[in-house]
Amino acid sequence: MKPKLTSRRSQSSSGEIDEAQRSSLSRRTLLRGTGVALGLPWLESLPVWGGPAGADQDHPRRFAALFMACGVHREHWWARGAGDGMELGNCLKPMEPLKAKFNLLNGLFNENATGVGIHPGQTGNILSGAALQKGSELRGGISVDQVLANQLADVTVQPSLVLGCEQPITGYHETNFSMAYSSHISWQNATSPVPMEVYPSLAFDSLFDNRGSRRNQSVLDRVKEHAASLSRQTSASDRAKLEEYLNSVREVEKRVVRMRDEADKAAGRSADSGKPLFAMERPENGLPEDIRDHMRLMCDIVAIAFQTDKTRVATLLLCRDISGLFYPFLGVRRTHHSASHYDLEEDFEKISTYYVSQMAYLAKRLDEMPEGDGTVLDNSCLLFLNNMWSGSKHDSSKVPAFSVGGLGGTIETGRVLDYSDRGDDQRRLCSLYLSILDRMGVASDSFGDADRPLDGF
Amino acid sequence: MPLATARNRSVFVTRFVGVRFVAVLFVSVLFVSVLRGAGSDAAETDSGDREPQGTEIPEAEARAAVLETMLRDTVVPFLAEHCYDCHGADAQEAELDLRPYSTVESLSTFHQSWEEVAHRIEAGEMPPPEAGRPDEGERDAVVAAINRARRTLALGTAGDPGPVITRRLSHAEYDYTIRDLTGVDLRPAREFPIDPANEAGFDNTGLSLTLSPSLMQKYLAAARGVSEHLVLKPGGFDFAEHPVVTDTDRDKYAVRRIVDFYLRQPTDLADYFHAAWVIRVTPDVDGAGEERDGSVDARLRQIATERGLSPAYLDRVWQMLRSPSPTLGPLARVREDWHGLPDDSSHDSEARRGCEAIRDYVLVVRQRLEPNIPNLKLEGGHLGSQQFVIWKNDQYAAHRRKFVPETINSIEPGSDEAERFPDLLPPDDPDEPEEPGQPQKSNQLEEPDQLEEPDQLEEPGQVAEFHESLRQFCDLFPDAFYISERGRDYVKKKREGEEKGRLLSAGFHSMMGYYRDDGPLYEMILDDAGREEIDRLWRELDFITAAPLRQYTGFVWFERTDSSYMRDEVFNFARAEDKSVTSEAKIRRLAKEYRAKAVRNGGSDEVLAAIDKFFERINRQIRSVERAWRDSESVHLDALLEFADAAYRRPLTDQEREELLSFYRSLREDDGLSHEEAMQDSIVSILISPWFFYRADLAPTEDRRRPLTDHELANRLSYFLWSSMPDAELRRDADAGRLRQPEVLVAHARRMLASEKSEALALEFAGNWLDIRRFDQLNSVDRERYPSFTDSLRQAMFEEPLRFFLDVVRRDGSALEFLDADHTFVNRELAVHYGFDASEVDREGWHRVDGAARHRGGLVPMAAFQTANSAGLRTSPVKRGYWVARRLLGERIPPPPPDVPELPEDEQELGPMTLAEALAKHREHASCAACHDRFDSLGLALEQFDPIGRWRTEDSGGHAIDARAEFPGGTRGEGVQGLRDYLLAHRRDDFVDHLCRQLLAYGLGRTLILSDEPLVDRMIQRLETEEYRFGSLVESIVTSSQFLEKRGRTAP
Repeated sequence: MKPKLTSRRSQSSSGEIDEAQRSSLSRRTLLRGTGVALGLPWLESLPVWGGPAGADQDHPRRFAALFMACGVHREHWWARGAGDGMELGNCLKPMEPLKAKFNLLNGLFNENATGVGIHPGQTGNILSGAALQKGSELRGGISVDQVLANQLADVTVQPSLVLGCEQPITGYHETNFSMAYSSHISWQNATSPVPMEVYPSLAFDSLFDNRGSRRNQSVLDRVKEHAASLSRQTSASDRAKLEEYLNSVREVEKRVVRMRDEADKAAGRSADSGKPLFAMERPENGLPEDIRDHMRLMCDIVAIAFQTDKTRVATLLLCRDISGLFYPFLGVRRTHHSASHYDLEEDFEKISTYYVSQMAYLAKRLDEMPEGDGTVLDNSCLLFLNNMWSGSKHDSSKVPAFSVGGLGGTIETGRVLDYSDRGDDQRRLCSLYLSILDRMGVASDSFGDADRPLDGF
Repeated sequence: MPLATARNRSVFVTRFVGVRFVAVLFVSVLFVSVLRGAGSDAAETDSGDREPQGTEIPEAEARAAVLETMLRDTVVPFLAEHCYDCHGADAQEAELDLRPYSTVESLSTFHQSWEEVAHRIEAGEMPPPEAGRPDEGERDAVVAAINRARRTLALGTAGDPGPVITRRLSHAEYDYTIRDLTGVDLRPAREFPIDPANEAGFDNTGLSLTLSPSLMQKYLAAARGVSEHLVLKPGGFDFAEHPVVTDTDRDKYAVRRIVDFYLRQPTDLADYFHAAWVIRVTPDVDGAGEERDGSVDARLRQIATERGLSPAYLDRVWQMLRSPSPTLGPLARVREDWHGLPDDSSHDSEARRGCEAIRDYVLVVRQRLEPNIPNLKLEGGHLGSQQFVIWKNDQYAAHRRKFVPETINSIEPGSDEAERFPDLLPPDDPDEPEEPGQPQKSNQLEEPDQLEEPDQLEEPGQVAEFHESLRQFCDLFPDAFYISERGRDYVKKKREGEEKGRLLSAGFHSMMGYYRDDGPLYEMILDDAGREEIDRLWRELDFITAAPLRQYTGFVWFERTDSSYMRDEVFNFARAEDKSVTSEAKIRRLAKEYRAKAVRNGGSDEVLAAIDKFFERINRQIRSVERAWRDSESVHLDALLEFADAAYRRPLTDQEREELLSFYRSLREDDGLSHEEAMQDSIVSILISPWFFYRADLAPTEDRRRPLTDHELANRLSYFLWSSMPDAELRRDADAGRLRQPEVLVAHARRMLASEKSEALALEFAGNWLDIRRFDQLNSVDRERYPSFTDSLRQAMFEEPLRFFLDVVRRDGSALEFLDADHTFVNRELAVHYGFDASEVDREGWHRVDGAARHRGGLVPMAAFQTANSAGLRTSPVKRGYWVARRLLGERIPPPPPDVPELPEDEQELGPMTLAEALAKHREHASCAACHDRFDSLGLALEQFDPIGRWRTEDSGGHAIDARAEFPGGTRGEGVQGLRDYLLAHRRDDFVDHLCRQLLAYGLGRTLILSDEPLVDRMIQRLETEEYRFGSLVESIVTSSQFLEKRGRTAP
């Protein structure tokens, strides 16, 4: 069971949302009042924040994927050299300050996204590597973030964050693939995508309202009364039976509440240490007018979720495949998808660079959060992915990708890795996922179309 | 068959009466009165079991004193002398210490062992010779005393409902109940850890069904999982077979139902031609030969009903076929071909082929007559814009039954098309000009956007008749009854092109949207009920999937991406990501801006009208869905109350109703959940409430023993027979307070046994009774040695006894069939496994095989038991024999001592000995023999079955099979037939006795107690008088006071 981030009904009637948000304001006002400095539950064993450094492996490892669609300006998508001496192409320039923690991954291959026609078939398996089915019934595969989420479900408040800056759609593309494949990169199983939250305010609530656990708590509260009233009527042996029930309910409740309490305790601890690290106010209701604000807020939510260990897995669909986003602030007239058909023009260079700057923003945020000897970024792996190498050619034979963060010292960074000339089996995107799964502690023999990790990663 | 042989134990009355020394030992007035009271019991009424309430206490005390004396003077000295050496302080052979067997209380506490003790002494098996044999008189006296004491005690409390404590549902019950509550078989407990079984082997008692926090967590998750299948509808809610979480889930659910509805409809024209032919060639019912209107009508209706056709449409087709006009065009051709079908009703298949040929002709010609509808175009707009695609869909929909004369303009004499469609070539009418005729009134298009030119001239004669023929042809045979999938039409691809599988799609590019186009089906095929259903399904589609809102969001996105129409700044306010984009204000604003640009770009009136209509329609649809959402909330709450009522399996109290509603309100108001979330969480809370997943009906609510209420009884009955909640019928009689009437109760029991759901009784009762409940997961067979043992063969083996059992139950057959039947049930795989001949192998599915003289028939030879009781690579006569003794005959055999010598695990390692010889050596040890003598021989007779239950004549080590055996008591027999003969002749009573006890323990959900003995006797007697009818057992149980009452809080 995964707590849902949202439901259709709550999205579709604005009146309802407003009401919902008003009623939960009090809880959040409190957060805001204290400057919101939520601490880190896994540090409970440490005396105070900033005390003796714990072993690095004690820090949680996180994984996030940021997705941009329809290719990049490939002529400006390059890097040379290594570490601080690395030289970056124009599109990757926003990563300049963090290039020592950056790896460019060129030439990766998602086989099932090739030879199936353009767009949806090239997208719906970007995190799964699965073959996709055409027609009205969806069929693909579970995505790597959800494999991680399933594994970590009991560890954090939210198994995963699945966010988007563009609303999903589900019509049919001319290739007869459903547009759902263009809209969703996170899939909970072969047939269902994970519902994606598009509203920053609701995404924020899902984290800090502890909606999932609060919902279970309400339910458990109610049935305790039932058991009590039933118990009052019956004999001693029946009462013992119902006591068994009540005890079980209480235990489950404790588990439900525990993580929340720990988060609150940690918040206090962090405040005591005088080092509030990262503050975020609840975003306004409704959708940010400007896509820049929208993306920034979503990155902030991922950052604060990672920092407070509310979740360790996130995906952020910055734009959908065949995106209709438009960028007046870049001076670009065409919408995203249309511009991608002119992907060697300056407009698309601007767009590509803008998307990389979103990743740079998130990475910088995480890098400003100390954790142990390093930062949250050092314990994370952020992956930037795109479904095409060239938007004008709809070429998905190579996946533009780069990673940021050392994932708790398990990834050597500051490198340019080019797999373009390797055989297909040596450059599979799913091999990269196997490598990441392994380092996140979810070792597996195979994933998607790969049965070996990525050489040299 | 001869009934009842000497019953060697446990039937109380018989045994007791046969005992000597009664009066001699205890001539006491009190005791005689006890006997007299007891003598009236037997198979009389339930209340006959019970003592008069008033005098109970002093009498019981006095009785206890008498029994105490009897035990002290007669029984205990005997035990001390003959038994304590092995079953006392120094040794506890068979884990039995008889020293506590000295009090009246022990008769109840250890009642089963006491029975066993008496039985073994009576049979002369104990004490063993080396312990010093007591003389016969002493032995009989002791046995008599034990039996008398037990009987007296049993009768004193006969009918006691016994200790049944409230408990959670077992996993099986949970799954069945969820199935019956939600209507979908979700089996949320499938992955739960296996429930432990109680002493009787069933997992339906409070003692074994415990709850732990981690299990509670699973139940919570399971309830959440179930709630994710919730589908809210305008008139209530349902549960889908798959989770309904994302938009695509909702689409899948709502679309599939509509497509399934369409596919169910009778739209094959050949069926109608054929039905009409049958009417034509079958003599009239009254034999008058001449058709009379009334009788033809009746026959039309009758044959339509028989064949699942639409009576209305069959009538239309019939009228056309019988009509003298028109004489031209394809309609005339259809009629001619149909009349050309054979006149003899015996030529049915020839006629059928003919009808199919007529149908194919109609389809080809009709497709040729489809109008060509052009795209609407707008400067700067996209051909695939929603307003244009919908406009075009509207045109197609409006023309499904219309003849458009232009469609045949290109068919000229001598052309290829005239060759292919001779019936579409207009008649040669040289006097008339080329112009087509004025369309008749009925030919007017209802839509304003008609295609025909309006300035056609009146034209009499053949051409007019030809056109009239085509008009009628197109009217009767639509170009489609309904459209269930639609690709993009505006791109001018062939329909047969790649865009298949877009179910109900409007045919947009990349955008979602549905379009309903089923006018001809609706008008000509469906009856009122069908129309109502399809209207409802489409309303529900919009309601469930939010289709209009999503379609409109797609529109806003498309107009900027594939289309560049909305890239002007004036449109920037409308963003697909913004939920308020579907608000009325924003739609109106966009409509205005969109239209203004169309005007600027020189859009035609038709284009502007299409734009206006699009915005007007989508706004109306969105408002209508939103209104339906709002209006349905109170309906959903009513449905929620009903759901709770069903889930709790009893009427809710007013307070409970209010509490549930206020819980829902607090979820909305305090927790800020949406309506749907609050509904889901309310359902979760119901599903983990003890009122749902505990058997609250079992809990005592009063101090003293009392009859069950109607609802408690309904629960008890349905969890006994179905392992699930009461169904509507049972609930209705419980609500009406009728269920406690014996005839009503028994009628329900019979109905329930005969129903599909009694499958649960097979699985949960018979599966556990026969110890194969987990056979479908059996992994002890070496598949390298036995490659034919596949998962599906294993499943077939598993099902055979269950199907056999169910057949007996549903037929209300004899319980003895389990032993002596001459039939069994097989599917193809099992028939092959059993080496049956081709006539059985070639049949599809499961079927009964009678006269199974091929070593099968009844339970004993079934492969599941032979396989489950083998030792991997060899058979195990010990396990098989033990199974027969334990499971069929109810023998209680102590566990083997820890130091038993092992037999080799592979027959091939036995060396020169056969398994039988090896076992015989084994029994040379006296300590082994005491028990093994009781069952080894039963298993040896089954040596003709190999380790996976196949018939064999030699074992895998190459030894010839020796299936001769000397059964307990000295009877000799050979093979499975010998064993069956022995069981029937000498052990039938043991079998019957055990079956009764097992079914009773299962039905009561508890271990049997001493006071159940009279009921067991009564079950047996009734079974015998009613020809061993299985249902009689169930009826005895459900009408017993054990079943109909429950103990009080404080005392029995």
